[in-house]
Amino acid sequence: MREAISVPYLKAGLKEWIFTTDHKKIGILYLTTTYIFFLVAGLFGLVIRFEQNSPGYQIVPPDFYNYLLTGHGAVLLLWWGIASHIGGLGNFLLPLMIGAKDVAFPRLNALSWWAFFGASVLVLLTLIPGNHIKMMWTGYPPYAGNPDAGVTALYVFIIHLIGVSSIATAVNFITTYIKMRAPGITFWNTNMFVHALIAANVIQLVGVPSIAGAVTMLLLDTYLGTNFYNPAKGGDPLIYQNVFWFYSHPVVYVMILPIFGMFSEIVSTFSRKPLFGYTSMIFAIWCITFLSFIVWIHHMFVSGVPDWARVLMSYTTILIAVPTGIKIFNWMGTLYKGAIILRVPMLYALGGIFMFLIGGLTGIPNAMVAIDLGISDSLFIVGHFHYVLGMALTFGIFGGITYWFPKMTGRMYPENIGKLSFWLIFAGANIFYFFQMIAGILGNPRRYPDYPPIPEWVTLHHIQTIGALILGVGILVYTVGLIKGLTSGEEASDNPWESQSLEWRLPSPAPVDNFGDEPPKVEPDYHPYKYGAPPAF
Amino acid sequence: MEQVFAYPANWWGEAVRVWLVVAVIIYLIVAIPGMYFIMKYRFKPGEREVGDHENHGHWGLEALWTIIPTIIVLVLATYSFAVFKKQRTAPPDSMVIKVTGFMWGWETEYLDEKGNTIKKVLTVYNPTGYDLPEDQKIVVPAGKPIKALLTSKDVIHSFYVMPAMVLEDMVPGRITHLWFQINEPGEYWIFCREFCGTGHSHMFAKLKVVPPEQFTAWLKGEPSVANKENKAEKGENI
Repeated sequence: MREAISVPYLKAGLKEWIFTTDHKKIGILYLTTTYIFFLVAGLFGLVIRFEQNSPGYQIVPPDFYNYLLTGHGAVLLLWWGIASHIGGLGNFLLPLMIGAKDVAFPRLNALSWWAFFGASVLVLLTLIPGNHIKMMWTGYPPYAGNPDAGVTALYVFIIHLIGVSSIATAVNFITTYIKMRAPGITFWNTNMFVHALIAANVIQLVGVPSIAGAVTMLLLDTYLGTNFYNPAKGGDPLIYQNVFWFYSHPVVYVMILPIFGMFSEIVSTFSRKPLFGYTSMIFAIWCITFLSFIVWIHHMFVSGVPDWARVLMSYTTILIAVPTGIKIFNWMGTLYKGAIILRVPMLYALGGIFMFLIGGLTGIPNAMVAIDLGISDSLFIVGHFHYVLGMALTFGIFGGITYWFPKMTGRMYPENIGKLSFWLIFAGANIFYFFQMIAGILGNPRRYPDYPPIPEWVTLHHIQTIGALILGVGILVYTVGLIKGLTSGEEASDNPWESQSLEWRLPSPAPVDNFGDEPPKVEPDYHPYKYGAPPAF
Repeated sequence: MEQVFAYPANWWGEAVRVWLVVAVIIYLIVAIPGMYFIMKYRFKPGEREVGDHENHGHWGLEALWTIIPTIIVLVLATYSFAVFKKQRTAPPDSMVIKVTGFMWGWETEYLDEKGNTIKKVLTVYNPTGYDLPEDQKIVVPAGKPIKALLTSKDVIHSFYVMPAMVLEDMVPGRITHLWFQINEPGEYWIFCREFCGTGHSHMFAKLKVVPPEQFTAWLKGEPSVANKENKAEKGENI
């Protein structure tokens, strides 16, 4: 029976894909969709880069540039940053890692996906020239209600649909983790990826209503003449920023925590060594989750909020460096005296940690309010978050996809292509974003399609463009590897990395009903990082 | 003593240098051992096939890399607090100007002792270039602290005084403030750094810093042509 159902995804019919409630298929749907959106938003990014290459309007008019920038930001954050690894890898892996047959509410899970699909359709509708949205992904009023900003309602409904999808997924995943663990899987032997996924979904559950409220008030202000954000009638545009960032800062941890989880999985497996400081890793995750809700003013350090609020949140923000530091040190501790195997997933994980280290250290000046007064809204902040979110996140997802590729597809991701893509992306990204930060330190504002011909800025933009081209080629090579792996990759064994974690005890690709009707029996001392025996590869 | 070029840019620069030193040290402390481990503890068939699996963590080490970073970041935050106070507190002898942002230009008002507007400079949107007629430049005296009161007529903008490395948003319905002092006469950039639409990247102005005597003369001089026209327009609207 089990053999019969586990048809490769490519052979599943359209009807099966549309009506599926299987967490694995839904995961694959999310991953495929978000990957395509990632490529398109990446192309937007390239156009943005070429536009800035030299002073003067180069290839696109400024209003179209603003559309590209809005699309680039919104899609890479909400599609690539959240949905690819929560909806995608999270859906696929959560039940497998805790030994469940599916998520707690499979039909709700399908609803999450279709709400997300609806949001994707709305995003595609913005491609029609009259439908452009140009208010940036943050959608600050009063500008977002201005005719110059494009169709406000589309922006609001995209956020609403993504929000519906996120809340449903959060309820589903948290319930799944609490109620559906196989006997023997406890809080203290859960995979770091699952710990991180649950923390991320707790943030989603608490935070999403906040942004939904913010954009709903924006909708009412714009179309029904209410005055939440209208200072002429007693409103205040800063209300939006507060309510918006109350969710939208924690959301960066929704994006990065599962990535940290993947780094932990991969680093431990390829060091052939238990994860160093497992307990303090969990502690760090929940510290970050808690702190993430009391730091949002750091997005508003120059927005006119009272000085005391800026100083207070400068302290809370900089404290986040401590738990993130713990995680980085623990990964270094895992490498120490390991038996390190540099396969593609490991390269991506180590590269991602390296990117995050730079991203983290360049986050400190954003927390130090005295420095932020000079670099806020400059290219420095853009470079910084492309290190942490842009690159650490992409490295994590790329590493995760290559790592679990065998379990998802039954085939191996081609090793040589993977290595080539890694080095291209790593080199390109560092050239690009490091010099972007320097341009910001020299004063270059962000969201500028044009700028005066200040010689240092021009030079730095030329360097960035070279980096962006290398980065783009790297991503293209990685994508070629995906297609090649899917169509002609080497057939994978059940546990090609010889991982100790539960999901690898299933055949590759994972069968439709996972472990079958009986929950898997794990040994009493089961631990996902219980490495001790040498691998056979 | 070395002449300070601009306030609060000097303190900002100092804070950046402090951060940079700390960041580079932490980077080296993490990256050098990290690279060393990756090179040294490599998997070798028959020789090193398995990691040190007895080693699950070390409470002492983990406590150490919790406590020391906590101290470092708290010191940095407190240092930044001290600098921030100086950056935000305009000296009592500051000259006050009012700047109002709009899509996509600025209106700068100069005040007398009683707070009445005595002169206006209107900087209008230049969608194609980055040059500005002389009468649209924001003129301030060198060596004198300037406190700018900021607001906006339409959407949120921000007022970034590039030589002073300081900015603050211009929010409709609110009056925000920043202060700066440029000691060297010259022309400097002012940019809008809060996204405000199609003309965002051309919402700029020139800050013309002149010796104090020249500034006094300029202040008494005739209002500019652009501003005269603006007044006429406003009159019609009323």
